[in-house]
Amino acid sequence: MILFMQQLVNGLSIGAVYALLAVGYALVYSVYNFTNWAFDAFMVVGAFAAYYCITLFGLPLPVAIGLAMLVTAGVAVSVEVGAYRPLRVRQAPRLFMMISAMGASMAIVNIVNLAFGGSFRKFPEISSASVELGGVYIGRMDLFAIVFSFVSLSALWLLLGKTRIGLGIRASAIDTVTAGLMGINNNSVAIIVFGVSGVLSAIAGVFFGAKYAVYPYLGLVTTKAMIASIIGGIGSLPGAVVGSLLLGVIETFVSAYISSVYRDLISFTILVLVLLFFPNGIMGAKTVDKL
Amino acid sequence: MSEGEGEFLKVSGLDVAYGGIRALHSVSLRVDRREIVAVIGANGAGKSTLLKAIAGVLRPESGELSFEGSSLPRQSYQAVRRGVTLVPEGRRIFASLSVQENLALGAYACPDRSAVRAALERVYGLFPVLAARKGQQGGTLSGGEQQMLAIGRALMSGPRILLLDEPSLGLAPLIVDLLFDTIAALNDESGLAILLVEQNATMALELCDRAYVLESGAMRLEGKGEELLADPRVRESYLGVGA
Repeated sequence: MILFMQQLVNGLSIGAVYALLAVGYALVYSVYNFTNWAFDAFMVVGAFAAYYCITLFGLPLPVAIGLAMLVTAGVAVSVEVGAYRPLRVRQAPRLFMMISAMGASMAIVNIVNLAFGGSFRKFPEISSASVELGGVYIGRMDLFAIVFSFVSLSALWLLLGKTRIGLGIRASAIDTVTAGLMGINNNSVAIIVFGVSGVLSAIAGVFFGAKYAVYPYLGLVTTKAMIASIIGGIGSLPGAVVGSLLLGVIETFVSAYISSVYRDLISFTILVLVLLFFPNGIMGAKTVDKL
Repeated sequence: MSEGEGEFLKVSGLDVAYGGIRALHSVSLRVDRREIVAVIGANGAGKSTLLKAIAGVLRPESGELSFEGSSLPRQSYQAVRRGVTLVPEGRRIFASLSVQENLALGAYACPDRSAVRAALERVYGLFPVLAARKGQQGGTLSGGEQQMLAIGRALMSGPRILLLDEPSLGLAPLIVDLLFDTIAALNDESGLAILLVEQNATMALELCDRAYVLESGAMRLEGKGEELLADPRVRESYLGVGA
């Protein structure tokens, strides 16, 4: 039972990291109808920024995360302005946007690799003590990841549901041209959407880096977030969260009770099964309602 | 120059093309303050294109668009902020958002919350059915209610001129009468200028002060509404009456 609880918490903490990324995918997809392949690069930027804030400047973790969010949001907005907007303005097919995203991703990851080197770095906070809850030991970072993801996703939910800007983003997601007729500047919406998704990927990068290691190719894990967002229903934000938590927990249980060798095999099998039987995902967005 | 004088909306020599196909050839028109102007013409004559170009949805190849003496911005969100608001063809309601959210979007650019609330009350006064359905999703409304919502949403931006693209499209005659009465009342009571594009030529000509006839992307005729109603060419081609 204790092992079960322990694995459940582990699963939720990795699921929470997937959720941050999957929600980023869903958000960008719902507004722009393309998959932003550059999230892996945003995540790497976030992880490195936080790592160096702590090791070089000795900043406390929350400050380091805050700065990492800012830096990553800046990078995400630059990619939007430099790589996506010129294509969008010319009404290029969305395949071009995806290719542009891949290019941006490769460029950023390789710049990080060249500038900082490809070695694996251990996050300084990671060794710190764990918390005991009824016999279950929970790593402080795991707990932190769950709480931090929950808080930031709730903040995003409030932003989208309760604010004027959020209403503008939802309108832009439904019909960009008509949103323009409402006085909404669609370019400003894009900056907010990419800034927010940059912030989410920075948090994911920090917690993933803390759980495993910080290295230039840690962004490969975004594949899992993609799977999670497809399981949840592509373009659906609640679906992305549910899909991520499910995937995180399933993977952890497979690793614990079967073998970690089968972990990715099971993840991709679930993806194939979901696509076969629920092509719109388990919380598949209806055609009219993408957010 | 005091209020009520000088140029209002002026379009001159407008050329618009879609991928090499010319939709408008050197189109000119003007709308004065407090005026209702109609543009009639057959399907595909370029009526919607004209309104879209004025509202900044389409980029013209050449020509001048000016409003109150200075040129109109080429981005739709900026045109709205200048007071030039388009009610698009087919209404384009945000189907999954509530009636109230649709209306709030109309006032997106307005920072003054109390002004937005006042505008909302005014729209609900104008179209009580919208007040009764404010929590309902826009997509669940009937066609006539959606057209009311589209007009109400446009009014939320506090427009100086309303561009109406085929407001009668697909609606029952009774609803069309109601809508046209409301448009006339808006113009009469608050002096809101209106540029109306319609296939229902009779109703448009009866409502308007002046009208233009657009044919294959070029202006053919211009005149007062009643003059055009009596014009044999108009009667034959657009009103379905022999000369």
